[in-house]
Amino acid sequence: MSAPHVIVIGAGSTGAATAYDLSLRGVRVTVVERGEIASGTTGRNHCLLHSGGRYCVNDRESAAECLVENQALRRIMPELLELNGGLFVALTEEDLAFKERFLEGCAACGIPAREISAKQALRLEPRLNPGVLAAVQVPDGVFEPFRLCLALLASARQNGAVVRTFTLVTGLIFSGHSVDAVNVHDYRTGKDEHIGADLVINAAGPWAGAVAAMAGVSVPVVPTAGVMVTVGQRLTKMVINRLNKPADGDIVVPQRETSIIGTTSWKVESADAIPIPQDHVQRMLQTGDRLIPGIAGIKLRGVAAAARPLISKASGADMRNASRTFECFDHATEGAGSFLTIAGGKTTTALAMAEKISTMACQRLGITATCRTRELPLASHRAYYGRLGVAS
Amino acid sequence: MAHSAYSPRRQVWKWFNPLGRGLGMWAYVLNRVTGLALVLYLYLHLAVLSLLSHGPSSWDGFISLARSRAFLALDVILIAAVLIHGLNGKRVTLLGLGIGMRVQKQLFLALMAIALLGVVVTATKIYGWW
Amino acid sequence: MRVPLRVFRARPGQSAHRDLFVVEVPEAAYVLDAVELAWAHLDRSLMFRHACHHGSCGSCAVRIQGREKLPCITLVKDVWHGKGELRIDPLSNFPLVGDLVVDVGGLFDRLSASEMAITHAVGPGMAPAGERPEGMEQLTRFQTCIECGICVSACPTMATNPHFFGPAALAAVHSARIDDGDPERGRRLLHVVDTEHGIWRCHGAWECSEVCPQGNEPAWRIMDLRRAALGSMARGG
Repeated sequence: MSAPHVIVIGAGSTGAATAYDLSLRGVRVTVVERGEIASGTTGRNHCLLHSGGRYCVNDRESAAECLVENQALRRIMPELLELNGGLFVALTEEDLAFKERFLEGCAACGIPAREISAKQALRLEPRLNPGVLAAVQVPDGVFEPFRLCLALLASARQNGAVVRTFTLVTGLIFSGHSVDAVNVHDYRTGKDEHIGADLVINAAGPWAGAVAAMAGVSVPVVPTAGVMVTVGQRLTKMVINRLNKPADGDIVVPQRETSIIGTTSWKVESADAIPIPQDHVQRMLQTGDRLIPGIAGIKLRGVAAAARPLISKASGADMRNASRTFECFDHATEGAGSFLTIAGGKTTTALAMAEKISTMACQRLGITATCRTRELPLASHRAYYGRLGVAS
Repeated sequence: MAHSAYSPRRQVWKWFNPLGRGLGMWAYVLNRVTGLALVLYLYLHLAVLSLLSHGPSSWDGFISLARSRAFLALDVILIAAVLIHGLNGKRVTLLGLGIGMRVQKQLFLALMAIALLGVVVTATKIYGWW
Repeated sequence: MRVPLRVFRARPGQSAHRDLFVVEVPEAAYVLDAVELAWAHLDRSLMFRHACHHGSCGSCAVRIQGREKLPCITLVKDVWHGKGELRIDPLSNFPLVGDLVVDVGGLFDRLSASEMAITHAVGPGMAPAGERPEGMEQLTRFQTCIECGICVSACPTMATNPHFFGPAALAAVHSARIDDGDPERGRRLLHVVDTEHGIWRCHGAWECSEVCPQGNEPAWRIMDLRRAALGSMARGG
């Protein structure tokens, strides 16, 4: 009996990790992506391999997940990471007061956290605000989302997956009450095609709602945009976070010889070509400058906006503090069988998201193989475009 | 090792387009153009020399043409080509051996200044301005 | 400002044309923002690559006004001054996939062959100043080269020799030899490029160093490899 065929919609970190996970379980996978790999939200993310510290006070579920996945990614793709750690720095009395809750949270989630004095912090990072009062060192890392996705998809292709970029899903086709095919438009050839599938997984990030609508169902995804400001100089070795509750512009991520300040948060109707509010850019430079004085004076390298695929628990909720965990939806309950959606989450937890949705999919398909994505080293990211050529 | 080929088309015209490019590319294009010009000149030179085998009158006929002011201009152009190609060639040799890489642009400008000086001096001598 | 984009459109085997897209962008917009707007609001069939939008992934490389650049870190106002059009074309010297998208398989094959790891250990004097964090034996950094292919597009030798190893991959071999420090591997890698289509095929146009958005200086690295090769030959290696 031939392997079941699953179509994964979206080649961001969620789709790429899902394709990889399924391919390792013996599923035949076709990934369909309307643009370039990671050209949606994933490509523009902050590049922070979270230690989990950011969520350990308010969102312990996310924090614990982050730590596990942080360690897994270090095992399977050590070459794709800058591993120089991170600091949470206290600049005010309020930050200092937060420190105890922070250390408690780290301990509760199993995050290795080391408290250091202001003097030690300045010896580690001389460009820090000289008014720093205390700091906590955590195992933050820095990655490149594009290369992460290339590595996942190269690995998936080595296990038989097919990746079709510049191919837009135009419709989900039903047979009875189940989705059994996908209509696509291939921009390379200009042709429309009909691709049959035993199951379809919607991993379209902030566009998951639009895709789900094609099956007449809905997912509670609220595209929540954020601005990243990159300056052309690397001022610190480590990731610098503000020691307080998550707020706008409280992280500076160094990468190569640049520094990325982020981020803000506002709801958008569409995640396509989000206009960048200039006041957000100024705000990032200001908050960044509080952490690392002088960063605001460095020439801008790039400014970008992308939408997080947040799941709304209640309408009108303050999305800044909405949970960053993810959820799987089986639309059979809504009359669309063989159609699943994975929404929410963050790139750091891509493997966990993939495991959950892949397990759900395999249960529907009668496959008993379990997740092995954390055990095997990933293929080189260069193997995606090289040797195998441009997909399909 | 069999790598997939880059471009499937050979685009020779790209050897000769320095517009919008750096000084290094201008030097490259100049070297190719002067090189081709010198090869062409060599053939013309040999063709002219073969006139010697046709007796004094054809040779004298050529010499009187060669003394005209218009033709002398071609000689100046020839000297320019030799100086540009030769001096830049020295630069290419040095760079190819890993010498002077940090100053490749300055080297080009300095050598072309010398070439220009050489052309001016030669023109002066040829036209008897001084 | 209203910017007229003149964008290359074609599919393999078909004749090319250039479409005009007039988009309204803020003063501080980058060229990639303008292209993305044209795609989002005017023509969804426009094929273009992009991911990080801050010049680290290398995927968006194109030719802007005829010159290779990363549109994500190139301001519109730096390449268009209110008159005429803003021309966008795909990279040269790569097979065309569609519009601004080219097949970079050859580049990545050669980069793999160079054995340059995409991250490397930070040597003394490389890190921003300060002590090393406790528990960290080695600090790491992504390579200077972002694998964008801009140098390959600008190279006149690549235009006529599809087997040339190319500036990106040759520079990568140079970096790999430095990063590793292992003399045996260094000798082996040098051997890989000390060939007719390797370091000796370069004609010193220096355009790769001129256009590299990262300042990786491939031309210097190629000539430095020649110096190493000659030295090795002189020693009878």
